[in-house]
Amino acid sequence: MKPSGGSRERLVVAHPERKAQRALQRLVGASLCPVEIVTDIASLCAAVDRDAIAVVDSGLARAMPDLCTRPARAWIAVPGEGLAAAQADGVTELLAAGWRHVIAHPMPVLAEELLATVQKLVRADVFGLEKYVAWGAEVRSYALEDARDRDDAVTALAKDVVAVGLPERIGSLVSVIADELLANAIYAAPVDDAGTRYRSGDARDQPRPLADRERVTVRWATDARYLAIEVRDRWGSIEPHAIAPRLAEAGKGKIGEGGGMGLALAYACCNQLVIGCAPRELTEVIALVDVRYKPTELGRAGSFHAFTGKPV
Amino acid sequence: MTLLRFGRLDVTLDGSRAILAGRLDDSALLGPLLGQLPEGPITLDTAAIWFVNSIGMREWTRLVRGLRARGSQITLERVADVLMTQMNLVSELAGAVAIVSFHAQYLCGGCGAEHTQLVEVAPHAQALRMLAPPKLPCPECGAAMELGDFPERYLTIFK
Repeated sequence: MKPSGGSRERLVVAHPERKAQRALQRLVGASLCPVEIVTDIASLCAAVDRDAIAVVDSGLARAMPDLCTRPARAWIAVPGEGLAAAQADGVTELLAAGWRHVIAHPMPVLAEELLATVQKLVRADVFGLEKYVAWGAEVRSYALEDARDRDDAVTALAKDVVAVGLPERIGSLVSVIADELLANAIYAAPVDDAGTRYRSGDARDQPRPLADRERVTVRWATDARYLAIEVRDRWGSIEPHAIAPRLAEAGKGKIGEGGGMGLALAYACCNQLVIGCAPRELTEVIALVDVRYKPTELGRAGSFHAFTGKPV
Repeated sequence: MTLLRFGRLDVTLDGSRAILAGRLDDSALLGPLLGQLPEGPITLDTAAIWFVNSIGMREWTRLVRGLRARGSQITLERVADVLMTQMNLVSELAGAVAIVSFHAQYLCGGCGAEHTQLVEVAPHAQALRMLAPPKLPCPECGAAMELGDFPERYLTIFK
């Protein structure tokens, strides 16, 4: 009898602790992909090839930060030391080194985040906030028709969030996140053939119809675990490789005046920032705010993921 | 007393004291405010600021920089929660301002309430420098509330 499902994608888990190895094996094993376990960097380097997805203890990752430049489907850093929350400094260090997937939070958030990340990679299906919230959660969407609709969309979203019973603190975070992501989509995303971001200098109080390629949408949903906010534009002009180092700069208190400040602020306000890019076609940014736990029960720095793929 | 408006930010000037209320955002370009503030020490009360985005933060940082460049000592009173957390992301602001009091999110372990509390800096100055926020009484049940977030998000600026 031949079983259904399961993929032949190969996963390699690298962690020095046996207990953490078991936990990670079960987590990523849920994808039904074959999982190989290794304990040190040398074995990891030997096991990972361009088709493998590597799940690496952050301690090992920090010992050799440029691991992420070696050929692989993806390099995913997970919390070390018994899978407790990752240290903020460690997250910043890995982002600075260019890691595209850094998970900061302990179980059970780790489980949800890691499995979603692995499956997005395995299935080559990287877009949509539905991957992060439970099936029963209703998704609400707003399409902006004009650049000046940004404030109304942010206000509506914040009201929605408070109306479902989430505290004002979450409403306040949502306002900042949505405002920054929408501003990026409206003003930073449009590029001309020469790659110039020709809307970046636009006055923010001026009307501008957002039609066709300039369409911007914001969606949100909550399942009482996460609040997910997703903003999409149709330019696909974000540079996933450049985002992590910028967030790292912000993590060192170096939020400056250049580009990327808005994304850094959105990252600082959420627990997980997920970038999806189909070059020249679609950019999607999802910010996840955990509404289950006290902030101090999670990692101080947020998790980060950057995917490149095609909409399915 | 002088009333000024910068986009959606209202500024009330009263001698060396300014009260800021509203949104610190793209519309609040604060360059002209610098010229309106008197020379010498200045006190800014931001309790009624309820929204700050990255451009608003840039304007705020420039305002602080401008005031310091002309030699003004800056005292911040009743710093809004949303401004406090964002100021802690900008290392340039540490040491640039003297904070008398600030708002922060507190959680009650007893009744589960979440409230924004005003933290006075002077009585807790040494502890705040060590990233140790004070416990404050819960307005609903009287139990000791604790800071509802990582101390670094509010207190890095005191280190």
